[in-house]
Amino acid sequence: MGDEEKKPGFMDGVKSVLYGMAGHDMARYALKTRGSMEHLFILITMGDLLGIPILPPYYSLRLLPYVVPQISTWKRRMLRERDLTDALA
Amino acid sequence: MSLKEVFEQNPNRRYIMFGGKGGLGKTTFSAATAYWLAKQGHRVLVFSVDPQASLSDIFKKDIFGKGAVEIMPNLYAQEIDADKRIKEYQEEIRQKIRDMYGMEEIPEEIENYIQAAAAEPAMEESAIFDEVVDIVVGGEYDYYIYDLVPLGHALYYLSMASVYDEWIDKITKLREEMAEYGQVAAVMQRSKETEEDKILKELMEIKYRINTSSSILTDKQKTAFFFVVIPEEMIILDTQKAAGLFAKFDVPLSGYIVNRVIPKELGEQDIPEYLRNRLAMQDTYLTKIDKTFGQEVLARIPEFERDITGLPMIERVAEVMFGGGA
Repeated sequence: MGDEEKKPGFMDGVKSVLYGMAGHDMARYALKTRGSMEHLFILITMGDLLGIPILPPYYSLRLLPYVVPQISTWKRRMLRERDLTDALA
Repeated sequence: MSLKEVFEQNPNRRYIMFGGKGGLGKTTFSAATAYWLAKQGHRVLVFSVDPQASLSDIFKKDIFGKGAVEIMPNLYAQEIDADKRIKEYQEEIRQKIRDMYGMEEIPEEIENYIQAAAAEPAMEESAIFDEVVDIVVGGEYDYYIYDLVPLGHALYYLSMASVYDEWIDKITKLREEMAEYGQVAAVMQRSKETEEDKILKELMEIKYRINTSSSILTDKQKTAFFFVVIPEEMIILDTQKAAGLFAKFDVPLSGYIVNRVIPKELGEQDIPEYLRNRLAMQDTYLTKIDKTFGQEVLARIPEFERDITGLPMIERVAEVMFGGGA
């Protein structure tokens, strides 16, 4: 990595504006979907945490270390109450 | 065909299993077969997948949880200590969490989960199931003899394999979809490649382990599965049912062995009415066994005058099973 980082040129600026106009929403959507799926994944594998044993826990323990950071947000999401504003989010 | 011929004609069948209801002699036959094969010069491991294993009793040697223990030249026996295995496994998981996140202590919520998971009833079976992979993949032996659990459990063990397999397939797919969405976002935001999905890798490893263990149980080339029956009505009926279920799971049935046959010669002696009735009953059911299972009945093993423990008795059983001059 000997090269100095290039200063962002005019074209980069244009790209950023275009991304903001078109791509940002899509990227946000993709990430949001991924987040939902992440929670679904944890539900299937770690259901016992909510008291819903879904499948044998021996192998789900193997996956546990990888989802430790997500567990608390996942639980909050699964157990919180829903209202009308959820539909707008 | 005799049991000996079955073994001689199928030298590729390196995984030998005896199935049947509890107390019919699965462990006895496992030990005797292991003994005979070892005497033939093969390196043999007989191991128990039963949480209430009895190999220690039959070999008169405490081998529980001690790994593969040499019983005599070429013959090794192993009893898996499921509890110990689960404890080690829990600790591995804890250590991994500590390492990955630089934690000193496991968060309470996570620790509770680890402990609760270990208390599940399926945990012992799963742990043993998983350990079998390590034993078999090692490939140090010419023959692996499974001292199986009683029928119900064995069926559970088999169905577990297919359920696990489907389960893993589903979540692997979900995980792959997730990776796609992650990538889409990454491309849009022109950021670097997404991080490699470690969970997906772990899932593949789990899948490999499950498949290794279950594919052996259903491998027609490499596996021989024998049913143990005794000449009693209920046992015959149950065995028939079980054989049907096992066939559904594609377990390659290699034949039946009849155990606990009271020697016919006794009938010529002066014996009490009680024993005479037993002999008559036995005759009826032996005929029924021959009719039901036909050519697949490979051996009749007599009821011995004492229980089968220790190598000299095991040798006697092996002689009856495979013929003398081993």
